[in-house]
Amino acid sequence: MSILFKGRRSGASDTNISLLQTLVMVLVSHVRQALHSLGELWRQPAASIMTIGVLGLSITLPSTLYIMVKNTEKISAGWEQASEISLFLKTDTSPASAQQLLTRLSTWSEIDSLTYVPADDALKEFQHLSGLGDAIAYLESNPLPDVILVRPTEKFAGPKAAESLLQKLKQQREVDIGKLDIEWLERLYAVLDIVRDLVTLIGGLLFIAVVLIIGNTIRLNILNKRDEIIIMKLVGATDAFIHRPFLYTGFWYGLLGGVIAWMAVILILWWMDSSIQAFAALYQKDFAITGLSGSALLTMLALSVGLGLAGSMISVQRHVKEIEPK
Amino acid sequence: MIKFEQVSKTYPGGQRALSKVDFHIEKGEMAFLTGHSGAGKSTLLKLISIMERPTVGRVLINGHDLNTIRRRDIAFIRRDIGMIFQSHQLLMDKSVFDNVALPLIIEGYTRKETTKRVEAALEMVGLSDKSRSLPITLSGGEQQRVGIARAVVNKPPLLLADEPTGNLDPKLSMEIVRLFEDFNQAGVSVFIATHDLGLIARMRYRTLTLKQGKMITDGLTDSDLEAD
Repeated sequence: MSILFKGRRSGASDTNISLLQTLVMVLVSHVRQALHSLGELWRQPAASIMTIGVLGLSITLPSTLYIMVKNTEKISAGWEQASEISLFLKTDTSPASAQQLLTRLSTWSEIDSLTYVPADDALKEFQHLSGLGDAIAYLESNPLPDVILVRPTEKFAGPKAAESLLQKLKQQREVDIGKLDIEWLERLYAVLDIVRDLVTLIGGLLFIAVVLIIGNTIRLNILNKRDEIIIMKLVGATDAFIHRPFLYTGFWYGLLGGVIAWMAVILILWWMDSSIQAFAALYQKDFAITGLSGSALLTMLALSVGLGLAGSMISVQRHVKEIEPK
Repeated sequence: MIKFEQVSKTYPGGQRALSKVDFHIEKGEMAFLTGHSGAGKSTLLKLISIMERPTVGRVLINGHDLNTIRRRDIAFIRRDIGMIFQSHQLLMDKSVFDNVALPLIIEGYTRKETTKRVEAALEMVGLSDKSRSLPITLSGGEQQRVGIARAVVNKPPLLLADEPTGNLDPKLSMEIVRLFEDFNQAGVSVFIATHDLGLIARMRYRTLTLKQGKMITDGLTDSDLEAD
């Protein structure tokens, strides 16, 4: 493209080549610049490793925390299913009205299953389990109420939903007391919520730090190449052309940093696995820690590359413009 | 080709580098710009390559007013102007071949076309055997010729040279000027800034003389220039 001289052909348009060839040329030139940027990193190993290391470790921390939260959620998900509501019926409830209540409840969509434990059965069970044996036979009347065990459906098993279900059940006139022993579960969820927020916060802060670090590293690279940039501008290089190698440098920082983070996460999980197994064994739980899934891994790499690119973009936008031939 | 219309340039701080400069260099013409250091030669060349903008007046190349050129189009303007510098402005860590190829790589020429053109340009300046050398291993005159090869490799219609013979002895200077004459004969407009009056005196080319930012003579070389 020539602005001053109409009809003066230049560059790719100078010789008659096909669109495909032009595309191939653009691709080749990008690959060449990408490899050149990688070569530059290779030639200054100390500086590059430090930058890549900072980036990698900055991504490792939130990634590891993310895995922790994920796994805690996985364990507690098992407990959540167990949440069960015990309904103690009023002592004057007749077996017939207890049956009525059961029929009514069985139509509720929130409820997965119901178990009716009549007072007599409960007493027998108590007699059997408590070891008090015949002593119980001396009781004048059965002090135990009828009990209905309500197991909510999966959707209503969470602390909040189960709590509202409990309130609804308590309003039934036959019900004396309803009990949902999930306060500890609520607390765990509250803690998990805080931890998740913290992970997001720490992640966000570290990501900003990474962008700033990469930006500064690229800024130094740009200043080091001041003379070269001036010469390129003198012979007609566009800003985009001058930006490209630095953007590729940012890309490589991101990719290599992501790979380091990935390896660090694997190492940390491997190191922690035995202690987690020992912990799980104490609770007689068969538990295998879940690492990063394929898509999470790709997300991590993409995030890392994105951060590298963002840092270098901010830097080239600001600093290449400042360098002008005088 | 190059036209200055009442151009004045005042640098921030009030230093007046050019005042009301008027001239017109025709297409295919070869002309010299001379004057003492600080007379405004470099400023005048910088206005042509848009390294500076005029404070007042218009600079036109091939009828296009450079004031209307936006910042992001400057790169494309510079591709039409071959520029040669006293300080050579070569990439010292790249081979002679890579230095000369730079404008072509920027413009996206194919590898084959690049090689062909770079070899032709190096042939023209007589450095075919040095294409793999690093500029640092070359003499001053050879480095200058690398700079010239780079300036002409994409066949620009206009060549600008700022003190191209600055550090060279008279014989080498003459060789460089002969090169410019060759390009001029091929139809390229050539505009050379120099304070080497002896060099100009030996040839009969149009010479523009600046003194304290004003154009004091515009015409063929004559003897009173040497006295100036």
